[in-house]
Amino acid sequence: MKKLKINKAYFATYFSIAVIICLMLIFTVMEKSFINASNINNLLSDTAPLMIMAAGMTPVILLGSIDLSIGAMCSVSNVLVVSLIMKFKDTIYADWFIMLVTFLTTLLFSVVGGIILGSIHAKLKVPSFIASLAFMSIWNSAALLISSSPISIPKKLWGTIEWYKISIGPLGYPLIIAFLIMIGYYVILTRTPLGRGIYAIGANERAARMSGISVDRIKIAVFAVNGFCAALGAIFLMAKAKSCAPTVGDSFTLMVISAVVLGGTALIGGSGNILNTIMGVFVVSIIKNGMNIVSINVYWQKIVFGLVVLIAIAINTDRSSRSFIVK
Amino acid sequence: MGEKNQAALSIREEFAAKVKADNRREKLMKWAPVGVLAALILVFCILKGSSFLSLSNLSAILNQWSLPLLVALGLTFVIMIGSIDLSIDGTVGMVGSLTAIFVANSKNTANLGIIGLLLAVLCSVVIGFLVGVIHVKFKIPSFMVSFAFMNICIGIGMLSYSGKPATIRDPLMMAIPKASFLGIPVITWIALAVLALCFYIQEYTPFGRHVYAVGTDETIPKAVGINVNRIKIKVFTLAGFCYGVAGIVGALRLGQGQIAIGTDQMFPAQAAVVIGGTALTGGKGGVMNTVVGTLIMTVLINGLTMMGVNPNIKTGIQGVIILIAVIFTIKHGATVISK
Amino acid sequence: MSRKNILFSAENITKSFHGTQALKGVNLEVHEGEVIGLVGENGAGKSTLMKIIIGVQPQTSGEMHLRGQAFQPHDPLEANAQGIGMVYQEQSLITTLSVGQNIFFGHEKDFMRMGVVNWKKMYAEAEKVLSEIGCGDINPRKRVIDLNFATRQMVEIAKVVNVTKEASADGKCLILLDEPTSVLNETEVKRLFQEIRKLTAKGHSVIFVSHRLDEVLEISDRIYVYKDGENAGNMDVADATEAVLYERMVGRETNTEYYHLDKQVIPEKEVVLEAKDLGCRGKFKHVDVRLHKGEILGFCGVVGSGKEEICSVFCGDEKPDFGELFIKGRKVQYSSPYQALNDGIIMIPMERMIEGVVRGLSVEDNIALSNAGKLSKGGMVSRKRVSEQALEWIRKLRIKTSGKEELVIQLSGGNQQKVVFARVLASEADIVILNHPTRGVDVGAKEEIYKLIRDMVAGGKSVILLGDTLDECIGLSNRVLVMRDGLITGELDASVDAKPSQVSIISMMV
Repeated sequence: MKKLKINKAYFATYFSIAVIICLMLIFTVMEKSFINASNINNLLSDTAPLMIMAAGMTPVILLGSIDLSIGAMCSVSNVLVVSLIMKFKDTIYADWFIMLVTFLTTLLFSVVGGIILGSIHAKLKVPSFIASLAFMSIWNSAALLISSSPISIPKKLWGTIEWYKISIGPLGYPLIIAFLIMIGYYVILTRTPLGRGIYAIGANERAARMSGISVDRIKIAVFAVNGFCAALGAIFLMAKAKSCAPTVGDSFTLMVISAVVLGGTALIGGSGNILNTIMGVFVVSIIKNGMNIVSINVYWQKIVFGLVVLIAIAINTDRSSRSFIVK
Repeated sequence: MGEKNQAALSIREEFAAKVKADNRREKLMKWAPVGVLAALILVFCILKGSSFLSLSNLSAILNQWSLPLLVALGLTFVIMIGSIDLSIDGTVGMVGSLTAIFVANSKNTANLGIIGLLLAVLCSVVIGFLVGVIHVKFKIPSFMVSFAFMNICIGIGMLSYSGKPATIRDPLMMAIPKASFLGIPVITWIALAVLALCFYIQEYTPFGRHVYAVGTDETIPKAVGINVNRIKIKVFTLAGFCYGVAGIVGALRLGQGQIAIGTDQMFPAQAAVVIGGTALTGGKGGVMNTVVGTLIMTVLINGLTMMGVNPNIKTGIQGVIILIAVIFTIKHGATVISK
Repeated sequence: MSRKNILFSAENITKSFHGTQALKGVNLEVHEGEVIGLVGENGAGKSTLMKIIIGVQPQTSGEMHLRGQAFQPHDPLEANAQGIGMVYQEQSLITTLSVGQNIFFGHEKDFMRMGVVNWKKMYAEAEKVLSEIGCGDINPRKRVIDLNFATRQMVEIAKVVNVTKEASADGKCLILLDEPTSVLNETEVKRLFQEIRKLTAKGHSVIFVSHRLDEVLEISDRIYVYKDGENAGNMDVADATEAVLYERMVGRETNTEYYHLDKQVIPEKEVVLEAKDLGCRGKFKHVDVRLHKGEILGFCGVVGSGKEEICSVFCGDEKPDFGELFIKGRKVQYSSPYQALNDGIIMIPMERMIEGVVRGLSVEDNIALSNAGKLSKGGMVSRKRVSEQALEWIRKLRIKTSGKEELVIQLSGGNQQKVVFARVLASEADIVILNHPTRGVDVGAKEEIYKLIRDMVAGGKSVILLGDTLDECIGLSNRVLVMRDGLITGELDASVDAKPSQVSIISMMV
């Protein structure tokens, strides 16, 4: 049985790598330009926001919870950061200072949002899917209230978001940050009391509580970081597009969840490896990019991701116990 | 119960008293939604007076009420078994889009008439069936399956007209949204007919009784040999039917088939079902609760619009309402485990 | 009393789970129109036998006969079809439905007419069923939620009678009642007993399982006593008294060596835990407890006496409604076990699988669950120290495992419990609450755990013990508190040469 478990963990990695290679082959055959340098570059830099958000979501799912508000949080942060920039752009402060302050404010906002969501879930015992669903509507509303239409960042400030384009070798700056966050979270999950607590809560919340693990606090912290990651993703999206839109995050919720479950993290919680999420992210990212390159209708993408997430979960779900009740 | 009182009672009596108090609270909660509805109507009457109570506004409320009611009816059964359905925005939008391209329209030469409508409903019935089957057979939580299907359906809906929505040209169907019977819009009559059907299913069929049982405790129906999986699949299929009718009504009212018909349908429905007193944990509530719940939501939105509140804030308000309603009805306590 | 025909009999039933024997060969015989009382301590095998009779699980060996024919149900439906029904401890009515709908739940098809359930006909039929068991005064149209618990129990019985009586050849059925009075108050119990009498007057038979001996004596015609999965006697109610029953239930004298009495120490004066007038609404109240350093304090009482709930309050799992709790002289109010652990209190919970271990994690990770913080440096958990710690405890407690990385789910019950002990000992908490520490553990492991408890106390820890058996509680403790109906009814010294007898404790428990 133990052997079987380990094999399963490796299976997720091998499976993802195989899928990635297959996908790349398929898309290359369909459209040669898929494999050229500029598209690969594009693909890699596009991956950064998704990877950051998936990094935040993995621990949430490891807890056995879910956050459906992640896309909406991304939208509201995206709009918030740009509207703050617009508000301050004509003040006397230096551009970099404005950027720094707006970034920090947005990140702070998202952390507070995550803490509120986490508290409602952990303290008031509202199931995470319904609490986050409610917050999805709240954040969507908030995004539309802040700005109901896209805003572009004025040219004079472009200089301050040039960092997004900097790259070291083939890897862009944003992707490196995303990798660092992933690795940071990997260390947290495997090497700190917090991480051990997350796995224990996911596997058996009751036993974790009785063992003296501070369940509520850990849950709230995980949701707070998840909010932070969503906002950071939103800032990256803003830097890339040099504009904001109140619905920019909509499609991310499903992509992020897809990436995490494709990485082998079980929805039921307690098992999974965040490094495998990186594989999942690339699968999702390649599907998305590939479909654009071979010019598959953008509407198909929603259908494809819906199916991908279902298949990924179906593969990962342990259906052996018959008495297990799923609602 | 006071501190002094406590000393006099034995633990057994105390326990019984606690249970009794819980029961009393539950009964009170049962009537709370009706109270909320009455209070809302009163508040808007006072604030807006005659314009709120005017015949045209009441007719408008009935008209606005029909679509959320249809959607919420389907959702009621899903929530009664303790599951959830997040596919609504997609299914309703998809059926709305398909309706327009199945009947006489500006985009293609199809002119299936009533058969087109049936075909459109069939699509959402199939989707509901699939959600149910995947949920029970693969043991994937319903919120996840339906969330995936929301996206799939939005994709299908948008693909069906690829960017340019079709306008309905069928004269009969163009007439329906404007028609009324006995002073009540025909669209509302359609919703009421589905309501009657759902009420019949809930009250007069074994299936209706079994739905309550599955929501209360799956092991009870299993012990008497009822196929719980089949009941769940039926529930999702029935929900699909209701969403389908809602989609058609939406398309007819708009005169055009586009995915936006389904946009923001889910939250009012979710909120209406929960606020009507159907607990998310399942086994409680029912179709009539949903009638009250949808009326509350419709009156609230109507009233807020009359007061000139920013429309963008509406979904947010619905989110807050869901949260409050869930917090009020859910089991609390440090030892409760919620995932 | 005249003996009627034998309705049901079970001969030499045994049942073993993963190597531990829950039933070692018990017998049971039920005559028509008879109430059989079934008593025994926790783990005596009563519930296991009930589950075998109703077909939830099969026996390992032994035979059952119903009306003289071999009887071997594979599931409850099959048992129902042959005239045996069970009313479960947890209520199995759907509270939002009416009485009649519950009675005929799953059989609605019998009342269908033109696609509609004919409720009128169903209610008429329900009235018939109810009056048949002597409860004609229950309105079948009422919703179950509006009924009191005694009436609900009768509805459950009516439901069971309905499914079973049609099926059985002579219309006589056997109803199993598992702890039916645990949710009832005294007047409700009275009423339930009246109804059971009416039921047996109609020729049906009942097996009544309960912890409450007074109730068993009141309702039963004959009483069976089980002890450790074996027969410990059966008698007519006329020959039985509470004292006789308890003697049969317990029947073993304290063994000095078994409980390592030579290692029992005299506790120090220092009070480490003190409760003043502690209470939880509907669970327990007026609880005053003082736990001394180095003491083993035993709590005795039947299920529902409130002892479990007190422990939940001590370890921070539940909040008390009244009273004060002092730990090492400091007043505390815990809202989670996390806070309690910070003050050095931890509990070994009763449900090992659900509350004790995280089955999907390895042995070493489980042992490090409660003290991950202490094993880390600069916020990083040292893997080396985690595995060193695990190896140390595996050696010390002689945990049988293929290695520290083995998943806990693969260990035997006793070794899983040792992992829990290792975790608790590693946490360095000095007040340990042991909630049935030897539940589901075989005899060999039990003795090792007893020694472990002695060593813990010798190492300066203080222990609150909820014994799995009365014997265990007396044998290990320095002092015993007896509880009944949420109140402490007695306090007994249990020093080495003055161990109280079980009978004296029992008299305070019931």
